[in-house]
Parts: sequence; structure tokens; C-alpha cells
Amino acid sequence: MTGISRFGRRFLQMVFVLWAVATILFFLFRLAPGSPLAAYIEPTFTQEQQESILRRFGLDRPVHVQYGIYLLNLLKGDLGDSFHLSGSVASIVRDVFPYTIALTLVSLIIAYIIGVLAGAFLAWRRGSVFEGITIPLVLTTRAAPEFWLGMILLAFFSFKLGWFPAGGALSPGAEFPNNFARFFSFDFLRHLFLPGLTLAIYLHGLPLLLMLSNMLEIMQDDFVTMAEMKGLSTWTILVRHAARNALLPVVTAFALGVGYSIGGNVVVETVFSWPGLGRVLVRAVASSDYPLAQGAFFVIAVVMIFMNFIADLLYSSLDPRVSSGDAKH
Amino acid sequence: MKKFVFALVAMMLAAAVWAEGDQIRSFELLSRTQAEDPTEFQAAQLVAQEWRKLGLDVEHKAIPWEQLAQVVWFDRDPPDWDMTMWRMVGRPERSDPDELIYNLFHSSTADAGYNFIAYSNPEYDAVVEAQRVETDPDARQALIIQAQEILDRDQPNAFLVHPQQAYAYRSDIWDPATVVEQSGIGIKNFWTFVDAAPLTDQRDMILNSGVVVQAINPLYISGATDSWITELIWDRLLRISPEGLAEPWAAESYNWVDDTTIDVTLRSGMTWHDGEPVTVEDVVFSFQAPQGDESPMYKPFVSGIADIAALDENTVRFTLSQPSAAFLTATLAKINLVPLHIWGPILDDLSTKDENAESYQEEIPIGSGPFKYVNWLRSQEVVLEANTEHFSAPEIDRWILRIIPNAEASLGMLRSGELNFLSGYLGDPQVLVQTSEGQPIDVVASTEVGFRYVAFNHRAAPFDDPAFRRALSLALNRNFFVQAAYKGFAVPSNSPVSTALGFWTAPGITDLETGIELAKGILAEAGYTLDGRGRLHYPDGVTEQHGN
Repeated sequence: MTGISRFGRRFLQMVFVLWAVATILFFLFRLAPGSPLAAYIEPTFTQEQQESILRRFGLDRPVHVQYGIYLLNLLKGDLGDSFHLSGSVASIVRDVFPYTIALTLVSLIIAYIIGVLAGAFLAWRRGSVFEGITIPLVLTTRAAPEFWLGMILLAFFSFKLGWFPAGGALSPGAEFPNNFARFFSFDFLRHLFLPGLTLAIYLHGLPLLLMLSNMLEIMQDDFVTMAEMKGLSTWTILVRHAARNALLPVVTAFALGVGYSIGGNVVVETVFSWPGLGRVLVRAVASSDYPLAQGAFFVIAVVMIFMNFIADLLYSSLDPRVSSGDAKH
Repeated sequence: MKKFVFALVAMMLAAAVWAEGDQIRSFELLSRTQAEDPTEFQAAQLVAQEWRKLGLDVEHKAIPWEQLAQVVWFDRDPPDWDMTMWRMVGRPERSDPDELIYNLFHSSTADAGYNFIAYSNPEYDAVVEAQRVETDPDARQALIIQAQEILDRDQPNAFLVHPQQAYAYRSDIWDPATVVEQSGIGIKNFWTFVDAAPLTDQRDMILNSGVVVQAINPLYISGATDSWITELIWDRLLRISPEGLAEPWAAESYNWVDDTTIDVTLRSGMTWHDGEPVTVEDVVFSFQAPQGDESPMYKPFVSGIADIAALDENTVRFTLSQPSAAFLTATLAKINLVPLHIWGPILDDLSTKDENAESYQEEIPIGSGPFKYVNWLRSQEVVLEANTEHFSAPEIDRWILRIIPNAEASLGMLRSGELNFLSGYLGDPQVLVQTSEGQPIDVVASTEVGFRYVAFNHRAAPFDDPAFRRALSLALNRNFFVQAAYKGFAVPSNSPVSTALGFWTAPGITDLETGIELAKGILAEAGYTLDGRGRLHYPDGVTEQHGN
């Protein structure tokens, strides 16, 4: 088997998964009860107007025709227009996407750095009083609801001390020459701090516990004993040998965590009025805004599938033993 | 045992004698879910509890708004509901009673329009038709009051309350004397935004909304928050004054030539935000544009115009197809003035496409109003700046609307100064009042034009019987609802015309005598009977049309 056909198969697999996701999304929303017009009916509204809106969004056509148009547009990269928000689904998602990515990546990276280091450290200090205090603490933060944690941080750091703003991603009316200046401004970082911290506290438990259990397992392995017998220092054994092997599942968890977190931050986004994809998604589902909900879910699916792919790649570079199944034939 | 059988037979006999018509079926009282509207949910629970005391089997059932709208509003043939909690919200143009008093209850709107309860009374139809074409305010007032008295008699709905909406602002930043309370709307209104004077060098008004801005489009009526923005960017010929009356704005004056002809003189020297002058051609275009199919939501507001023409370079003549009392409020104070040089080409282009003007979003919206568009970050904020060239230039520098979905955080922001005008607060009003104590924060609660009510489906017995509806309505003590469900932030209601609209409100209409015994008396008088188990039956000869 050549590398090209392997890549080709993987690609076809991905296309198939995306098609399946797109199809499920399409029918899921159309089978849900309730009219997509419900969000419209407050203003004076005649039968004629209702029909005109149905026509405008193609909702008057048979479902299979709608489905065909939907798939064709998807191929062209067109996610359609939102029912309720002005502009295309693509532009709405594009507007909030940088904020989502910033929040997700910053908090995940912090969570995984802290989690990995602390996990390795705790494995080393197995059985100490320190471990006895830390593990329940970690479990508590992992079990604590995000909104509660967020409100506590908000009440303390923002309302009481006044160190950080209570919401939003930028100061009111802040102006920037371009997006680069916007996302690397002190103002943006100041706004990012509390939601990022909340999410990081919530997320760090998983890498910590994963790292801890992997390390404990690996430290029983023969090659560690071998290294000890060679007289290597504890630090070298811990970092160069054990940690490197224990990291593998953590890397996978990180890559999948990005995919999951992209659309799953709605609680933190709401508490801190953060303009992210999660809020857009929840609102779209609640108001039967099919195209927007479909589009947002689809983007999340693309990110997840892509991150899966990245995880695979990282895996094979971190551990040469892991490569595609075909290679073993 | 014998005694028991005897008692049973006696009870059955008694039941047969007392209850002559069929037993009335069980009802579901619909409402939104608790998460969507906790106050409405609470009110529904209390309503069901009161009506059970009359011998009815009423269960409260909460369903999400999309489904509720489907069942109650869209599926009219055949409708599958008996009673539901419902609301009409306040809007500036509803400060003219026509929209609510006509559309909600005129029999012509039962099939597809606002009269989803299918109330039908020829006498009422005649009165509301007459007020629509009565241009003398005093004569019209008499008709509006007459209409409310008919509704009081027929009780098509059980009106519950006109809610009060609480807003707040920093009194150390905004001069309280310049914060305007508009009747039926509250302090969050056009006049406050234009008039508010800063006391410090904080010259930006920073407001909040819990919901996102959907569109900024002068030809589209979208979300409620969106209308605050369109009102500021685009001028209208007339504006609804703080007292609720339509007064000249971009029009210098208007003059009724006869019942169906009105000449409007445009203020001179106005310019669009791009520097072009505002002309009578723009005005004519602004009213003609919605007459086509590109702006369906505005179409009803211009449908009464038979002809519109520029007489000279300052005057526009509107000819109406019939006299219309609400024309000033519902049309001249409603339609946004849009520039022909921008929207003309856009509409020409759209006329060949499926989409209409409602889905069009200008890159930089251009109006002639007191504020200019600066920036819109989706899900974050909308920034407008003062149009210093405007004939009513604002005192503030910038108007910044922040999207804050977290109600508790918005209170914290008001205290810290991150917000200086709380223009959207969906949390508990008592918490707002407590938060403001000892702070430089003014809380102002105003009665809304809108109302909350229980709607009955008149298409089937027993709701086709005014006596039955009246009994149910009078079983509800409005003051109890004000306190128990609305925590004091509401006033009793018995009319679609809010007490906030002083001039149009029928005097004493909300002085309802209520009580369970009173309601039982009305039912008994109308021939309804209770059986031995305390269940209410129809009057003799009336049969149940619905299965249980």
C-alpha cells in the first residue's frame, strides 16, 4: 500500500463522515416540533407575509428538494442565510470564530500545561500529604458547575476587586486598526482572563488525572527500572523517559478537547458575555434557525474531524511504533 | 353495606337531577416554559388553581414557545387548544390604540391575523371600524371607550396585568432632569437617548441588551432591540412624543386638506449621513418602497395610501383610500426615511431575486437621524455616534449598546460603571432595587403599553359563551396576580388599552369586582350546574363537542 492511496482512503472517509453529519443535521431540525416562523409572529403578520417568508427561505418546497439544494450549496461552501440574523451563516460564524478559538486554545493550553506538569509531579510524589490534598481539590473543580465557578470569579475579581471587566471581549467602543491589533491588545487579554481562567480550571482535571495514571503505570515499566539501574537522575527519568510516553493519550485528549470545546463553551460564554460560537448555536437551535444551527454544527464537526486527524499525526510522530494499520501488512 | 349502596344511588340520582347538561371537559391551560418566562409560568399556575375552585378540571401545561406558537397561532384549522397564557408587548406605535383594539378583536382577522381567539361581535366590529376613520380626537375617544366597554362586557380574554418594566441609569453620570419617561415605554426611549445630558466627562452612553442585534435595516422589523437602533439612525416624518402623540419631526408641519388628503412639509436643510441632501423625492420613495413586495413587514402600514406625490420641493401630498385616524401614528411616525440614491438601486436589483429587502444588510447603514452608524460587532456591541449636523443633535458623544446575556453581570456592570444605563433587565426587579440602594443609581419602573392575559379559544363551547368567560375572568383577583406573580411590578388590566395611554383608557375599566363566589353566581345564573362531585356541567341542552 502506498502513502497516496492511504491518504485517499482517509480523505474519502472524512468526506463520508461529513456527508453523514450534514444529512443528520438537515433532517434533525426539520423533524423537530414547532414552526421556524414562531420567532417572527410578534409584528403584524398576514397569511401572505408568512408565505412570503417561507418562499424567501425555500421552506415552501418539498423536503427532498430542499435537501438537494442544501447539499449542492454545501459543496460550494455556501451554508445559506440565517432565518433571523442578517447576513450569511458563513459570515456570522466567521465573526465569532476568532473569539471562540482564542478562548478555547488559551484555556486548553493553560489547562494542559498545568495538568500535565501537576500530573507528573503528583505521580512522583505518590502517597504524600500533598497528593492527599490536591486530588480531592482537582476532583472538586472538575465537578463544580462552570457557571458557578464563573460567577464566583466574577463576584470576586470583577465586582469586589475591580481588577477585570465583568463581561464582553473588548471595552465599549474600543477601536483597532485591524484584527491583529484587536486580538493581541492588552484590552482583549484583560477581557479574556476571567473566562479563560474559569475554563482552564474546569478543563485541567482531565489532563492531570490522565497524566497521573499514565505516569504511575509507566513508572512500573521495565525500561524505567532499567534507567534507574543505569544511574540516571530522577529528573531525567521522569521527563525524558516516563513523561514522554505518558503524554500520548493526553495529546489525543487535547486534540479532541479543541473540537469539543469549540461549540461547548456556551455556559462560560453566557456568564462572561463572550461573543462565541456556543451562544450563537444555542440561540439558533432555540429559535429554529435551521441554516444557522446546521452551519454552526457543521463547522464544529469539521473542526472535530480535523483535530482527530491532527491527533493521529501527532501520535505517529511522538511514538514511531504507531503508524497506519496498513504498514503492518 | 346497604347504607353505602343507598347513599351511592342517592348521590347518582342527585347528580342526575342537579347536573342537566354534559360535564364540561378537562382543560389544559398552556403557557411558555418556566425557563422562557418564569413570571408567566407562575401566573398560569395561579390561574389554574383559581379556576379549579369553580368546579373545572384545569391543568397547566408549559410548552416551548415554538410549539405554543404552532398550536395557538399557526394551526387555526382546526385549532387544538382551549386556553393559553399570551402577551402583547409595548411598542411606541402601539401608543395609538388602533393596532391592538382593531387587529386583536375584529372578526376579519380571525382566520389568519391577530384575532387568533376568533372573537366575533358585529357590534364591536362596527365600533372599531368607525374609530378607524374618525379623525376628530374627541369623537374617536368616545368610540375607543365604547369598544373597551363592549370588551368588558364580553370578556373575550381574561386580561391580567399591564406589566411595569424597570430600567435604571447612573444618576451621577446622566442629569436626571434630562432622562425622559415616555408613557407606556419607560425611560429607555428615543427622547432619553437624544436629550440625556452628561454631568461628567463620561460622554458615552453605555447601554445593555440581553439579546443579540439581528439586523440594522430600515425596511425590516426584526428584534425589539433592533428597533432602538433603527429609530436613532433613520428619521421619520413624525415621532411619538413622550406623551404618546404623533408630533412633527422631520416634517416641519402637516396639514389635513380634507378627510383623506394630508400635506406634509419637509424640514429644510437636512442631510443624509453621507452628506447628500434629504429631498421630497427621498420621502416619496420611502413610502413607496414598502408598497411593493420588498418589505412585507412594513407593507400593512402603507396599504392605506392611494397616492403620494411631491407638490413642490418641500411638500408631499398623501392621498388615502379612506379616512384613517391612526395614519399619523401608524404610518407617518412609523416609516423610516431612506435615501433614494442608496436604496433605489438595491431594490431594483432585489426585484429580480428571491430575497427581498428584509434580508439585505448595508455595509454602513445611512440615514439622516440624530445618530450615525459607526460599528457593529456581532454578539458584542453596536456603536453609534452623535450626528452633530442634526436639527436635534444629541448631547452625548457615542451611544454604545453592549450585548450582555448575563442579567446578574449587568447589575454588577451598572455599579462598576462599565454600563451607565441599564436598558435591558430581565431579572428580578426587586434585586435591581436592592442593588441600587445607597448607590448613585436611579431605578424607574413604568407601566407598559403591552399586557399579559389568558386567551380563550372562542371556536368551541363553553368559551363561545360570554357568561362563562366572564365568570372565569372575574374569578381572578388582579391585585393578587400583581403581587404574587409580578412582585408588584405591574398594574391590573381589564382592557387592551393600557392605563399608560391615559387619553384612550376607559375610566374605571380596571375597577373590577372579583371573587370566586361572584364567579360561581354568574355561572349559576347562566344555567351552569355543579354535580355531586363538584364538577361543573353545561346548562341544560348543551352537549360537550369535544371528547375528553
